[in-house]
Amino acid sequence: MTEARGFTIDIDQNSYLPVSGSQVDAIVTVTMTEATDAAPPTDNALEIIIVDCSTSMSGDKIVSARRATEAAIAELREGVSFTVIAGTETAEQVYPSLSASAMASARTRAEATAQVQRLQADGGTGIGAWLRLAAHIADQHPGAVNHAILLTDGQNGEHPSQFAAALQDCVGKFTCDCRGVGTDWEVQELRAISSTLLGSVDIVADPADLAADFRAIMGTAMGKRLSDVALRLWTPPDATVQFVKQVAPTVEDLTSRRIESGKRTGDYPLGSWGAETRDYHIKVHLTPRHVGEKILAARVKLIQTGSDEELAQGLITATWTDDSALSTRISRGVAHYTGQVELATAIQDGLTARKAGDQATATARLGRAVALAAASGNDASAQLLERVVEVIDAPSGTVRLRAEVTAADEMTLDTRSTKTVRVRGGS
Amino acid sequence: MSQFCPRCAEPAATADQFCEGCGAALRVNRSGTVAAAAAGTQRPCHGCGQPFATQGRLDGEYCPCCGLHRRDGTDHIEIDLGALAGVSDRGHVHVRNEDAMALGQRVAGKPATLAAVVCDGVSTVHTPELASRAAAEIALDILLEADNAPEHTAEDRAHAAVAAADRTVARLPAPGRRGAPCCTLVSALVNWPEPGRPEITVAWVGDSRAYWLAGTEAEPARLLTRDHSWAAEMVTAGVLDTATAMADARAHAITQWVGAGSAGEPGVLTLRPAGSGALMLCSDGLWNYLPGSAELAAVALPMIEHGTGALKAAAALTAVALERGGRDNITVVVIPITVRSPS
Repeated sequence: MTEARGFTIDIDQNSYLPVSGSQVDAIVTVTMTEATDAAPPTDNALEIIIVDCSTSMSGDKIVSARRATEAAIAELREGVSFTVIAGTETAEQVYPSLSASAMASARTRAEATAQVQRLQADGGTGIGAWLRLAAHIADQHPGAVNHAILLTDGQNGEHPSQFAAALQDCVGKFTCDCRGVGTDWEVQELRAISSTLLGSVDIVADPADLAADFRAIMGTAMGKRLSDVALRLWTPPDATVQFVKQVAPTVEDLTSRRIESGKRTGDYPLGSWGAETRDYHIKVHLTPRHVGEKILAARVKLIQTGSDEELAQGLITATWTDDSALSTRISRGVAHYTGQVELATAIQDGLTARKAGDQATATARLGRAVALAAASGNDASAQLLERVVEVIDAPSGTVRLRAEVTAADEMTLDTRSTKTVRVRGGS
Repeated sequence: MSQFCPRCAEPAATADQFCEGCGAALRVNRSGTVAAAAAGTQRPCHGCGQPFATQGRLDGEYCPCCGLHRRDGTDHIEIDLGALAGVSDRGHVHVRNEDAMALGQRVAGKPATLAAVVCDGVSTVHTPELASRAAAEIALDILLEADNAPEHTAEDRAHAAVAAADRTVARLPAPGRRGAPCCTLVSALVNWPEPGRPEITVAWVGDSRAYWLAGTEAEPARLLTRDHSWAAEMVTAGVLDTATAMADARAHAITQWVGAGSAGEPGVLTLRPAGSGALMLCSDGLWNYLPGSAELAAVALPMIEHGTGALKAAAALTAVALERGGRDNITVVVIPITVRSPS
């Protein structure tokens, strides 16, 4: 709809509401176009690499973790600040030795690599402590593109409230991509971190794949151009924002992240942004008006946090009509993403029921997931589902639970349940 | 020498812009949708009462306070110039009034030359309301322009008015995926070659109509125009009967329009009525509910007496369309015509 500084916002919605209709749904697509593909801000980026060095990491895992960290260090662009943290029940800074960051150069990369090669697996798991040290270092880089990779193989040993407090203290300071190696870690735990800190979570079942994965994460992180952007939503006086969800590339409910920023205006932080596209599903409740009335249901702006600079804007509107041919049309994007969100929920519900031994619920929910994945063309989810259920008829969602399912397959399905696909044929 | 200065009654040539006697401008008296919209932009929001101060912004068409789509003063327009009058209404369903009207009279003339234009913006295109407004204004300009080429007939002038509207609308910006702005047009020009003997020239493009309304057999009531629409063409071609054609989903698709990509000649006709009555121009927002000339005459004529009551007649016709649903924008212009019986 509008473009400024290389960002576009597109709105996909049916703006027609029936008589007495009050729900407005829209898919908001935010894209940073290639036009802004200038040199990323090297002098204003911080990479934090956090490696689990608890005793459970012994053997293959710590060897792979060292290699992966070395690979990540090798990917650092010249001039980017970085630090490596070894995590046990406490957090120890591996490089540089002071609680600060180093600037990437041939010398510092070599020094860091030498330190990483000495990493040993010996100790407990205190993820909250690791995050606190990362936040402390990120505090020294205000306004920069601050990013962390967090690698662990086990469950957190801290008290949940201690962990939750540490996590909350990191909000807005850096984004964090989490990786679980092996199958002894807790999906919920890492998802809480990646979700709160606007990053990704994934499983690396085989430690041998770690280095490639770290390289990929670093590639994406080095491509980020803007440190901190947010959706700014204005709604009319009698309107209620029912939800704001990121629906692509993954499902993330942002509703509770709202920060009031003005009269009838709230900001939803989105983290850093590179040359990428993300989709959001926004649902607004309005007081019904007369047929023939049109209203601005929401104004959506993309802003740069801090400077409040407006990067792009889109309008969500509502028009009341008594023409049911108009009001019953469903936007393709809204229908598609409603299905994708249901798919994620069905997978998670099904896996929870399966763990609890509730075969009937697990079969029904995973069957529903199979049908939704097939209908929407989410092949990745469909393939992961097939390792957990035997598909008899995909369109109807008829499935049988598999008796033997590896922990890795189950955790992979769980971890990747929130990955969505975009509308087929583009939108 | 058919004109006189409205101030000093000095006779004036038809080409004169100013009175030779007193210097008064022999200006036309005119109004229409554009004038109403210009006044409407000053109005506060109809929802919350906030004044608008956000023109030029992307969301300037919405109230910055309550978000309501701004009303531009064209929801209901009544224009009464005495000898002719018009009413234009948004109706009950549409968000905007995409119809437009422009009407005027050359005040230096007795009886005055009268002209009116009704346009209906095609709602599936970009900014249809701008198309209809621009077309109505420019067409009226041409119809009421002081005549520098007396050899031109009224029909030439009607053709020129449609051509000017066509060029004007074609120049409107057409960004985005929607089609280029376009509209229908129906115009009337009433001249008086001799007092009491009117000559009415009607031109049209699309499905806006002109009717002759009368209660006597001297000049019977009838539809003057023939729609440039899918339904009308099917009927004319003998493919479908009227009822079947009108029931089709494509019935209202127009086959000629004013604006970019237009093709075909406008319909033009001249009427020299043998008896008194009224000329009525309207958009399909009226005739969809009341297509028959006899029914229209039954509503309008009781309001007209000795050449007055044009506004009452236009308002009565509009009210019928609103009562029957008002699903489209409604625009009606009525011009009472008094013919002196030949002696």
